[in-house]
Amino acid sequence: MTGAPVRFVFDPELAAFQLTPEHPFKPVRYELVRTLLLAAGVLTADEVVAPTPVGDDDLLTIHDADYVEMVRAASDPARRPPDVELQRYGLATSDNPVFPRMHELVRGVVAATVTAVELVATGRALRASSFAGGLHHAMRDKASGFCVYNDLAVAMRRAVDVHGMRVAYVDVDAHHGDGVQWLFYDDPNVLTISLHESGRYLFPGTGFTYETGNGRGRGTAVNMPLEPFTDDDSFVDAYEAVVPAAVERFAPDLIVLQAGADMHHRDPLANLNLSLAGMTHAYTRTVELADRHAGGRLVVTGGGGYDPYRTVPRAWSLAWSALSGRELPGELPASWRAGWTQRLGVELPATFDDPAPPPVPRRAAIASRNRSVADRLMAQLADIWGVTLQP
Amino acid sequence: MLVADVMTRQVVAIGPDTPIRDVQALMEQRNIRHFPILEGRAAPGQPDALVGIVSDRDVRLVGADHPKAPAGVRSSDPISRLMVTDVVTAHPGDPIEETAKAMRTRKIGAMPVMDEGSLVGIVTAADLLDALVKMSGVEQASARLEVEVANRPGALAELLGLIADRRVNVVSVMTTRGDAETVSFVLRVSTVDAHGLARHLRRAGVTVAWPPEKQAVP
Repeated sequence: MTGAPVRFVFDPELAAFQLTPEHPFKPVRYELVRTLLLAAGVLTADEVVAPTPVGDDDLLTIHDADYVEMVRAASDPARRPPDVELQRYGLATSDNPVFPRMHELVRGVVAATVTAVELVATGRALRASSFAGGLHHAMRDKASGFCVYNDLAVAMRRAVDVHGMRVAYVDVDAHHGDGVQWLFYDDPNVLTISLHESGRYLFPGTGFTYETGNGRGRGTAVNMPLEPFTDDDSFVDAYEAVVPAAVERFAPDLIVLQAGADMHHRDPLANLNLSLAGMTHAYTRTVELADRHAGGRLVVTGGGGYDPYRTVPRAWSLAWSALSGRELPGELPASWRAGWTQRLGVELPATFDDPAPPPVPRRAAIASRNRSVADRLMAQLADIWGVTLQP
Repeated sequence: MLVADVMTRQVVAIGPDTPIRDVQALMEQRNIRHFPILEGRAAPGQPDALVGIVSDRDVRLVGADHPKAPAGVRSSDPISRLMVTDVVTAHPGDPIEETAKAMRTRKIGAMPVMDEGSLVGIVTAADLLDALVKMSGVEQASARLEVEVANRPGALAELLGLIADRRVNVVSVMTTRGDAETVSFVLRVSTVDAHGLARHLRRAGVTVAWPPEKQAVP
């Protein structure tokens, strides 16, 4: 296999559970991606590596002890606390139901992302993926938005504390990466950049341009809120206006890309109007930025993505293609489609080609508003950074 | 929310004999725009009486070449020559919407807050804007839900019941507009799946203005 040494961190157990049967967050996505990449010939079996387990002490580098204890207790049917108590920690809600072995399984997600970061930080791989990871809403002391433990934060904490790295985090999930942002809000060694549908409209309601970091971390939080129904062109414009300049100035040793796939127009939870083409721009450009500014080192995680069968496997295959430098075939392998169509009872798309949705009537106004928000954001950051940015 | 929740308690007040130029200096030093003016009462143990208020605008106009500049007033004169004596005041227990309305109708930017004859604070238009930001703001991760319900007893309770069925917590509720037939509310709800919640509400006959209709995926 040609290209850079790359690893796909995966454990069948991470793809084999459900939060509840009707819950929109579907772990089977990771198995769909793995099998699609293997069938398409862009991933070899020896590049798929199992996560190295982590302990509760690793979780405690980010999470409060009483919260971890609450998750442990909730995971054990014999000593499950009452719902009112669980709900103080964001658990036993529609978004974060308690499910069997929750503590162990989500700790496994943390292990997968920590493993990906370790492989890259120690030079055993140039780039790695952890598509089960990307639980960016989890907070220090509570579960939020389908996320129980913050795998990204645990892994990035380790990159900073153990490997002495500066980490740039780029989040292209449709939802603001609030958990990661707040966990590193004061930290000058971690740059968080999030592009997302504006918090005025979408969960979690934060991620405004004025959230720029605090204390020694001032200027290391960057937020680009996008108007609902933003399309490929306007997204690419916003990405280009914000991400390259922020990454270049920060000069990271590692980039972590949270590649939530819910900016796609078919996603049932968000209201953006992207196609796979716009999303792929973020993947390929972030790889280029890693090459230019971080010695090539990049870890890609999953995240949101609630059109789990038609959109997510193709989106993350395109992310893997960018990460590995291997070209996908135009068509999805027939064997893969046949097998999964039978198993899921859902018709799957035949090609990676993804026609853009029809433009919305307000298209020009949306693009113009995004542009002015990006300009205002960059002017404000230039002021904090004390630099003059090229227009 | 009440005036007591948003007012400034450390009030800088001045006496009526203070020269205008000293007031001007104090305004610039302390970056304050409104001064209540207090005068000692004759009887011992009585609180000082509020006798007037002066704004930065009144003070700046002294000696200015401006049609509204006060005629014959010099900056060495006492502030009592300039102060407004018909002072509109607030009470710490007043609801802030009432205070906001008073400021708009009387076209003033600040109100001294009086409790039992004593000056206990000052509330300004900026304090009310801060309160608005806080009231509409997001303290917990949440999504926006905009609905229209019938203008009749129990309609909001039924809506909240439908939301509770989904085990979704309501973080805030604001009334945006209403008429004889319907009332519109903007709620912040603690769920990522606002579309799923909206489908649930639409099925129950609620008019949902945000999020827009969207198909569920298989």
